[in-house]
This record gives sequence, structure tokens and C-alpha cells, in this order.
Amino acid sequence: MNVEVSTVTESLSHRMGAGRKPELNQSASVANGEVALLARLRQGDEGAFDALVTRHHSALIRMAMGYVADREVAEEVVQDTWMVVIEGLGRFEGRSSLRTWIFGIMIHKAKDRGVREKRHTTFSSFESADDEGDEAIDPSRFHQSGEWAGHWAFPPQPWDDQTPEKLLASQQAVTAMNRAIEALPRTLKDVLILRDVEGVEAKEVCNILKITETNLYVRLHRARERVRQAVEMYLEGRPSAV
Amino acid sequence: MAQEEGQPLLSEISCQEIAQWASAYLDEHVRDERKRQIALHLAICTGCETYVNQIATVRDVVGMLPKAVEQPSDSQRLRQAFVARTRRSPSGG
Repeated sequence: MNVEVSTVTESLSHRMGAGRKPELNQSASVANGEVALLARLRQGDEGAFDALVTRHHSALIRMAMGYVADREVAEEVVQDTWMVVIEGLGRFEGRSSLRTWIFGIMIHKAKDRGVREKRHTTFSSFESADDEGDEAIDPSRFHQSGEWAGHWAFPPQPWDDQTPEKLLASQQAVTAMNRAIEALPRTLKDVLILRDVEGVEAKEVCNILKITETNLYVRLHRARERVRQAVEMYLEGRPSAV
Repeated sequence: MAQEEGQPLLSEISCQEIAQWASAYLDEHVRDERKRQIALHLAICTGCETYVNQIATVRDVVGMLPKAVEQPSDSQRLRQAFVARTRRSPSGG
């Protein structure tokens, strides 16, 4: 039994903290790079400004889409965000990261715009329905009663070691995953985009979205589970529900 | 069932609970005691080991999805605004 414990612990441990290491290093270098980037921005370096816009624009648009009616409005919101960033660069004190500041401005503007478009009630009800109420994973996959209550009735079928490469090489799989991400309710999409797509560290995601870490992991796991279901359906050759 | 040895350990935390904790566990955002319970459970439960591995795969693959590199529709206006602001206050003050 001890042998088994250590074997499995080792096989999964490389996917835990260690699995994140490249990104942690990346985050650290981004943070260091941020000081230099900020200095260049304040000196009026247009290349630095272009780099900043290129780095964050897509994620800003993707997130803004969750708050407003359509892509056109999302683009206006993000354009306005960049104008505020330009005007505010001189006053930016670096108490948060540049990224936290920029995303915070966008969310504020997008919410404001969403309220003006009277979408507020719509996405408030979305939030309460999808935040913490339901189970992340379909309860019918577990025994509901008896000796094995709470244990798998329909366990997931293992994916092989080549699954990540196969998924990324398949246009159909990439489309299925992107569709699953786009179909997420806003509160789930925000955390998945920031944490997993953009590689933002958990604490910074919490700062940007003004949520607790516990709340972050509830949402993040729901989001990952929905993408996992999409991958499972793709691998089993079932048509996507989304 | 054939898992008599494993049953007391499995009952400490159910598969359904493991499924809820998978992301927090992978990101090492669980207390030591919970981490120990999950690790022991994973060692004897292939269903949960598979599930946690799949969530890790999803996390990694989502980060590697091809990203559309988008530019603002009016990037020229933004650049002009940026240059104008710098001219107004070259030190950024």
C-alpha cells in the first residue's frame, strides 16, 4: 500500500505545484519586466505602448463581452479603458500590478456600460444561479445511496499521455474547447480566462475580480469541469451540447 | 466489494468531494490535512486519479490554446493619444 501511495503521489505531484512552475517563473519575469515597461511608457515609448496593448487587448475584449450586449460595445469599452490608462499612467502608483489596474478599469467601465444597457438584472441572476449553488460535476455520476454513496458510479475513462498534443492538433477539439469557454457564465469565464488562459496568479485574479481565494477555486473548478466535459464528449465522439 | 483494505481510507473523503476539491488541490490551495486525505484517496481510487489528471490536462491545455492576437479597431487614435499625453507631460507627472 505504501508503495502505491508514493507512486500515485509522485505521478500527480508533478502536475500540482510543479506543473505550474513555468508559469510562476513567467509571472515573476513579467512582474520584473513590468517595472521596466512602466518606465518606458512614462517616457513615451510607443513600442512599449504597442506591446502593452498587444499583451492584454484580446483578454480585455473577451472579458468585456461578458458584461455588454455585443462585440462592438465591448470594443468601445476596451478602447475607453485604454484612453483612461493613457491619461492615468502618470498617476499610476504601482500599488497593484499594471495588469490588475488595467483590468480593474475595464471591469468598472464594462459594468457601467452594462447597467446603462439594462443588462444588469440579466447578469445578476446569472451570477446567483451559477456561482455556488449547484454541484460542479454531475451528481448522477456518483452512487447516491448505499454502501458506496458518494463514490463513482460512472468514473471518467482515462485519457492517454498524448491527449494534450492530440487536442491541440485537432481543429475540432480546439473549437469544442473554445465554444465551451465562450458558453461559460461570466463569473466562471472571468476566472478561467485570467487564471488558465492568461496565467495570472491566484492572488492577483482575486484582486482583479474582488473575490476570495475560496470563491476563486469554486468558480475555477466549475469552469474547468465544463471544459473537461467538452473534451470528454469530443474524445468519445459525442456531439457537443454547447 | 473487493476493496476491503481501502474502504476505511476511502470513507474519510468521498469521490464526490474529491471531484469538488480537484482544482484547489492541483493548485495546492488546500490545508495540509485535506491534502493528506486527498493524496491517500487518490492512491487507491483510479476513478479519482483519472479525474484529477483530466482537470490538470484541461488546465494545461486551456493555457496553450491558440490565442487570437487582436488589435484595437482604432489603434491609430490610441497611439496618437499616447504620444499627445507624453508631449504634455514628458516625465509622466
